[in-house]
Amino acid sequence: MFVDLIQNTLDGLTSGAAYALLAVGFTLIFGVLRRVNLSYGPAIMFGCYAATWFHVHFQGGLLLLAVITIAGTVLAGAYVERLCFAPHRDGSAIAAMVASFALWMQLEELAILAMPKHLYAFPALYEGRPLALGPFSLRVEALLMLLVTVATCVALHRLLYRSRFGLAVRAVIEQPVAAQLAGIDLPGIFVRIFAVASLVGAIAGYLIVSSSEQVTPMLGMWSTLKGMLAMMLGGLGSLPGAVLGGLALGLIEAHSQWFFGPQVRDLTAYLLLFILLALRPSGLWTTTRSAS
Amino acid sequence: MDDYTIGVLTNIGLFSFLALSAYLLLITGEMSFGQQAFFGIGAYCAGILTAMYGVSLPLAAIAAMALGALAALLVGLPTLRLKGLYFAMATLAAAEMIRILFELLHFQRTVEGELLGPDGTQGFRGIRWVFESGVEPLHYLALIYVVLAVVLGLFAWIERSRLGATLRSLGQDPELAASLGVDVNRLKLGVAAAAGALAALGGVLYAHHNTYIEPRNFDIMLGIHSLAYALIGGLGTTFGPLLGVVVDIGLVEGSRVFEGYRMIVFGGLVAVLLVFRPRGLLDERVVHWLRARFS
Repeated sequence: MFVDLIQNTLDGLTSGAAYALLAVGFTLIFGVLRRVNLSYGPAIMFGCYAATWFHVHFQGGLLLLAVITIAGTVLAGAYVERLCFAPHRDGSAIAAMVASFALWMQLEELAILAMPKHLYAFPALYEGRPLALGPFSLRVEALLMLLVTVATCVALHRLLYRSRFGLAVRAVIEQPVAAQLAGIDLPGIFVRIFAVASLVGAIAGYLIVSSSEQVTPMLGMWSTLKGMLAMMLGGLGSLPGAVLGGLALGLIEAHSQWFFGPQVRDLTAYLLLFILLALRPSGLWTTTRSAS
Repeated sequence: MDDYTIGVLTNIGLFSFLALSAYLLLITGEMSFGQQAFFGIGAYCAGILTAMYGVSLPLAAIAAMALGALAALLVGLPTLRLKGLYFAMATLAAAEMIRILFELLHFQRTVEGELLGPDGTQGFRGIRWVFESGVEPLHYLALIYVVLAVVLGLFAWIERSRLGATLRSLGQDPELAASLGVDVNRLKLGVAAAAGALAALGGVLYAHHNTYIEPRNFDIMLGIHSLAYALIGGLGTTFGPLLGVVVDIGLVEGSRVFEGYRMIVFGGLVAVLLVFRPRGLLDERVVHWLRARFS
């Protein structure tokens, strides 16, 4: 029992790490643009499909596939930004969101047209036996996932808190109008933050598909939902909150799956989100500014 | 009319209810990601009543609408004070919970030697009241459009009345509306309940057209589609959401020209359309112009 609890916690932290990255990407876009990008997950799915397509036809190495995943995601992200967010910069948030939904449909159908089977195998991050630590087993790819997640978060932290670009981004998050008055180029920041968010999302996507060793078109909807869920759990627009929200989501899922099975697992996550929103809409970790 | 045309027209009618339900909330300034759940509740409730207990369709529809309204009230009570994305996420969470409850719902009984009822993810088949009562597909189509016409009549009447102006004022500026003496919370709850009942009504008709329903018919995709329909068609008039449904199901799916590329065409069309018309084809300005022209 006790051993299982710890094992579940370890597993939960691993999937939580991927959720945390998804939430960080989502939060970057939401925090800076104040817009919901429903195409965030589908762009990641598109990148993973591009890598899978390459692997099916030419057999690529792990690193090459990672590069293709990132390139594909950033490309799809740029397309979404140009068509859904650049034109609605000062306009309607709902129109931007619905437009991003429209492109989700496009990206999903494109992926299905290029690769019509429902499921494709993706090369594993690590093929070998899990590490045994006493009674616990730790998958090596899980360890890699945690490491990459931590490295990504550290890099992101340096970018946002130690560079001029980061200063500008934080200024835009805090006070968009004042930031613009101070001479910060808002459209430029938007484009670059979209690229950074796509990059983070692509890393998350790559980790997810290479540890589950499969790709399906459902990855798009799944990533958007998990990213949004983790972001909301952590409180909108806060980066540390997004990381904690992702980890919390992973832990909640791992434990409720062990106790009640997979269907109740999803139910628990939504129920917690619902209660949290009803009682404490600012999230578990309060943010500086609330969304409107 | 051939079967294909009847099928397309039926679908346009059915999803119009859901689009109108999303529209009703949108004009009062709330964006719900969860109307598909009430559509599902209507479908399941009426299916259980007609297929398992032999209740007639009209009675089952009334019961389903009541249940849809009740469920919408229960979701609305703790969430309606939330705004924007918070409200959208809360309704999404509620709708996904309801969908998972459909997956967990195993409730079957034997009717005339056949095991009927919802069977979790396996779905719920045999909702044959329409067929067994000898209603032809064409007549069922007519029934759907008569009900839809009644709903549209109600909408038109409300939009002309004081209530319609009050509802739109809620969407424009709730604080101003409250300062003018509008009971914002009560009115919003009423709107949520009405939208829930309307979605449930659509679900009733959907279940009896398809005869088979399963939990994933009512997933988030359906919800975002209904929002998109309302927004593409336009937020200026009740006909906006209908136009949105016609554009998607009628033109893109129905014309069969874009077989296999439907979503690519539809998705691109919508994104480009929203660049030029962010409040849809029939937005307030166009509607105003049309009214000035023809009345």
